[in-house]
Amino acid sequence: MTTATTTVPYRVTPARVLRSEWHKLWTLRSTWITLIATSALTLAMGAGISAAYDGNGEAELDTVVLILLGTQFAQLNLGVLGILSTAGEYSTGQIRATMTAVPSRLPVLWAKAAVLAAVTFPLALWTNLLTFPLAQSFLSGTDHAASLGDPGVLRALVGNAVGLALFAVLALGLGAVARSVPIATGAFIGLIMILPEVLAMLPYDIVDEAVRHFPGRALETLTTAQPMPDAPSPGMALLSLLLWTAAALAAAAAELKRRDV
Amino acid sequence: MITAQDLTKRYGDKTVVSDLSFTVRPGTVTGFLGPNGAGKSTTMRMILGLDAPTRGHATVGGRAYAAHPAPLQEVGALLEARSIHPGRTAHHHLRALAHTHGIPRSRVDHVLDLTGLTDVARRRVKGFSLGMGQRLGIAAALLGDPATVVLDEPVNGLDPEGVLWIRNLLKSLAAEGRTVFVSSHLMSEMALTAEHLVVIGRGRLLADTTVADFVRQSGAGTVKVVTPQAETLVRLLSAPGVDITTTAPETLDVRGTDAERIGRTAVAHGIPLFELTPNTASLEDAFMDLTRDAVEFTATLEGPTA
Repeated sequence: MTTATTTVPYRVTPARVLRSEWHKLWTLRSTWITLIATSALTLAMGAGISAAYDGNGEAELDTVVLILLGTQFAQLNLGVLGILSTAGEYSTGQIRATMTAVPSRLPVLWAKAAVLAAVTFPLALWTNLLTFPLAQSFLSGTDHAASLGDPGVLRALVGNAVGLALFAVLALGLGAVARSVPIATGAFIGLIMILPEVLAMLPYDIVDEAVRHFPGRALETLTTAQPMPDAPSPGMALLSLLLWTAAALAAAAAELKRRDV
Repeated sequence: MITAQDLTKRYGDKTVVSDLSFTVRPGTVTGFLGPNGAGKSTTMRMILGLDAPTRGHATVGGRAYAAHPAPLQEVGALLEARSIHPGRTAHHHLRALAHTHGIPRSRVDHVLDLTGLTDVARRRVKGFSLGMGQRLGIAAALLGDPATVVLDEPVNGLDPEGVLWIRNLLKSLAAEGRTVFVSSHLMSEMALTAEHLVVIGRGRLLADTTVADFVRQSGAGTVKVVTPQAETLVRLLSAPGVDITTTAPETLDVRGTDAERIGRTAVAHGIPLFELTPNTASLEDAFMDLTRDAVEFTATLEGPTA
């Protein structure tokens, strides 16, 4: 052994794994493209819809939900970003390098989730805080005119950003379980878009009640400034979304520990 | 130091590695030989904790790989398939790995330099040739200045210059006192690089020996001599580096000299020769015999008995 082997105090710590995952996220082009596209689409759709709004026809739609219609794309974009950070490592083989460096495995999952949340939440929040005034500049004088100080508006803008960050982490968990980008993407779209619609057709009240707590509905509830009469409270929606995300991460952790890389 | 103890890996009812026990010692290059599908990669993955053994265990430096506080400093590994995201540059791939251990940036630059990748370090791995990819894998393996190096088929896809570079690298790593464990399905390659051999076939240990012993047992490079005056000829041929064994009455196996010298010596002293046969069996043949025997042995056990 060389002398350097015994003198340099290399050591794996959670903070260092976090730093590594941070470095990994920002050194891929797909990250930049996804984040910029997400922000730009939300801004453009908010501005476009508001500019085209003629003052009627969408009166029953919540003002923040209307302005943040770009969320439909953002949730997919950020979900795919989450899936790429886990399932993407399996498809490229990078996972073997990652898990050889951190053979205890779980710190990698927590670091990936933390980094993704720390990037997506501020991005979504700033995007929302820019989109709202931009959209409002077209909406003055219509029934959707509102200001940041109006009841529920700021909460909805922040709630939407929290929800989107949780969506990304939820998708990251699905990616770690599926270990395949297409399968995880299919499962993610199925869970947030298709499954609730299918279940809602069933003639049972209990199913209708459950569907309200699915991630897609929870995000919509979080995005509304004026809570709908039959929807759960924003706090309840946040709790549902947290539980979905926690469940996905727990499943990912169990699989990561149990299965061979 | 790598120790495998009763390592066994089953996928369903298929046993890939079976009761494998061996020790890889520091200071020498140990070759890990076996035909394709013998279980070499699976064994290496179990050593690195990527695959959990069905039974048995492997330790590196006295502990399970995952139990080390700085695993990359304990073992540097190059695994079979590429383990690198193609969208990242070589530099950033290594930086991300280095961050997990607090390895400084200067070390990243050093291993890039060592593997001759400095000029392409800022290019995305996507555009790398097979050889450059192997070099980057080796740079990653050396990143933590590891006490043990595990390389799975490192010369695969390399040009002759690259093969030579790997050979010298492995020898110098061993000379520095490190444990070097390198797999190959080519006996000839191992004969040039390794001092010790662990040979497996169908997941079972076939031989755990030195290259010198393996060569001796294989009979490669010997000359068979049959003469009625065996004792006299032995005396005449004796010299430093010449190794003579009597395999049967009047039959000699001579190593360390060639058929021409034996023939001339015999003529000069009027010794009749009944046979003078250079054994041309190569190491590769000996290796194939060994692994084929194992396969046949298994087949005999499972087949109907007469």
